[in-house]
Amino acid sequence: MLLAATLLGGALPAAARADMLDTLQLHGFLSQALVITDRNDFFGPSSSGGGSLKYTEIGANASIRPHQDVLIAAQVLSRRAGGDGSDARPVLDYGVVDYQMVSNQQRTLGLQLGRFKNPFGFHNQTRDVAFTRPSILLPQSIYFDRTRSLGLAGDGVSIYLEERLPRGILRTQIGAGKAQVGDDVERALGLEPLPGSLESQSSAIGQIRYEHDGGRIIAALSTASAEAEYSSTVAALDGGQFNFKPWIFSLQYNAEKWSLTGEYAIRKLSLEGFDGFRNFDTTGESWYLQYSRRFLDSWQWFVRYDSLVNDRSDRSGEVFESQTGRPAHSQYADDVTIGLQWAPVSRLLLAAEYHHIDGTGWLPTQDNPDPAETSRRWNMLLFQLSLRF
Amino acid sequence: MGANHSRGTDTQDADLHPVALRGELIASVQPPRGLPVAWLRHGLLLAFLGLLWPPAVAASDSPVLVAHPNVQTPRLTRDTTRAIFAMRQRTWPDGQAVRVYVLSNDNPVHGRFVKERLAVYPHQLQLAWDRMVFSGTGQAPTRVFSQVEMRERIASTPGALGYLEMEYLDDRVQVITME
Repeated sequence: MLLAATLLGGALPAAARADMLDTLQLHGFLSQALVITDRNDFFGPSSSGGGSLKYTEIGANASIRPHQDVLIAAQVLSRRAGGDGSDARPVLDYGVVDYQMVSNQQRTLGLQLGRFKNPFGFHNQTRDVAFTRPSILLPQSIYFDRTRSLGLAGDGVSIYLEERLPRGILRTQIGAGKAQVGDDVERALGLEPLPGSLESQSSAIGQIRYEHDGGRIIAALSTASAEAEYSSTVAALDGGQFNFKPWIFSLQYNAEKWSLTGEYAIRKLSLEGFDGFRNFDTTGESWYLQYSRRFLDSWQWFVRYDSLVNDRSDRSGEVFESQTGRPAHSQYADDVTIGLQWAPVSRLLLAAEYHHIDGTGWLPTQDNPDPAETSRRWNMLLFQLSLRF
Repeated sequence: MGANHSRGTDTQDADLHPVALRGELIASVQPPRGLPVAWLRHGLLLAFLGLLWPPAVAASDSPVLVAHPNVQTPRLTRDTTRAIFAMRQRTWPDGQAVRVYVLSNDNPVHGRFVKERLAVYPHQLQLAWDRMVFSGTGQAPTRVFSQVEMRERIASTPGALGYLEMEYLDDRVQVITME
């Protein structure tokens, strides 16, 4: 991207070039957490010794405006969440050329070309940036880690329109491209030990968001469709189709000192064309409700109830247990969380939170390879230090 | 609001309706004397508007919008102003690139400008910037450390937009009216 900027710069007169370089911005962040659990492991060996330090997020981005209507931006992200050090290999989080073709007092219309972050729910676009999260862990029922690569970003094109209405703003974004399908998805689907791999196909996302009265009330509806095909040397597995179709309804009320946030998601997940044992077609359901309150300028506390069921037609997981022999509690999770954030200076954020969880519905399989050894009720304490520039 | 605009709070309406919107609005609806019914109607209208937009109250001594003198847009709607300060809109309505300058979040002048003029809260704006900067959808505004620096940067940067208290205005910057 910098190369592109340099090339563009080369074709411009010196004054314009200086003007453009003036728009160059560099930003970054770093977060390190300590995760302690009494039972089950979350992001590393959190239930043994003094806890796990294997939750680290580091990112750096650059952006420049070579022309008044054009923004070029890219971010590299290194993220370790459990796993070994190789998980922290830096990846291109986003890389876009953003062109605003219309920008006047009534509306803004633009398009993004490249790898763009999916506007999914309130938090997906910046889910790895602690400063934009209300808590150390986002509500896991919706922003779970198991299949995070699927919804994270798309490679393609996205169009956005912001329309200013008399009492608020209506923002619409539609994107199409290629979803990313990482190892996490294969692991979550139990395909990891098989000879083959999931190749992403098309994906589409859409969000419509209304901000009333300067953001006092925000409502959003997001949807996506991601598809992947399994290619394998084993005929019974080759050509298997994976399909993921979530909807999220989001609502937030913001007062000066407090916010009330709720999101509800319904997720259609299917696997077909495999041998009968692995095929499935389920609809999962998630929601959370969160109250957060700011105090003493730089402090904030929150309380949240967060609930997930993997299959709406089997909320208790008992059917799943009788069919697979794996624990019923792996099919749901109810999480009560309280937490505290303190930003003594704007570049530093310290946070702590406590979770009491019933169920292992979003517990990473990577950290807990044998579902039979997981515990239904567990507690988790997290501390996190974050820096940004 | 023009730089030479009188403060406007000396009108009776403003005294009666402390939540009234802004000096020029008050001036424009000030009724002729001796028409109590129209007078009351205007008063009620203002009070009602005040109820509808509780955070939108701008005292006449709120910091004013200020731009580089070459900017060709003398008036901005509040929604456009908000979109520009939220860094979602990157150009002036005539297509010129806009450069946004702000004071730090804990500066009381920033707090008053954001709350009274834009009708949002500083922490909301900061979150909006973080979301832009870390999702590839926009850039952060340029932070300055004092109103004197704000004035100098705006006076010397084509397309610049910021805010100043009245006493910091001079003829090297242009006051933009917000409607």
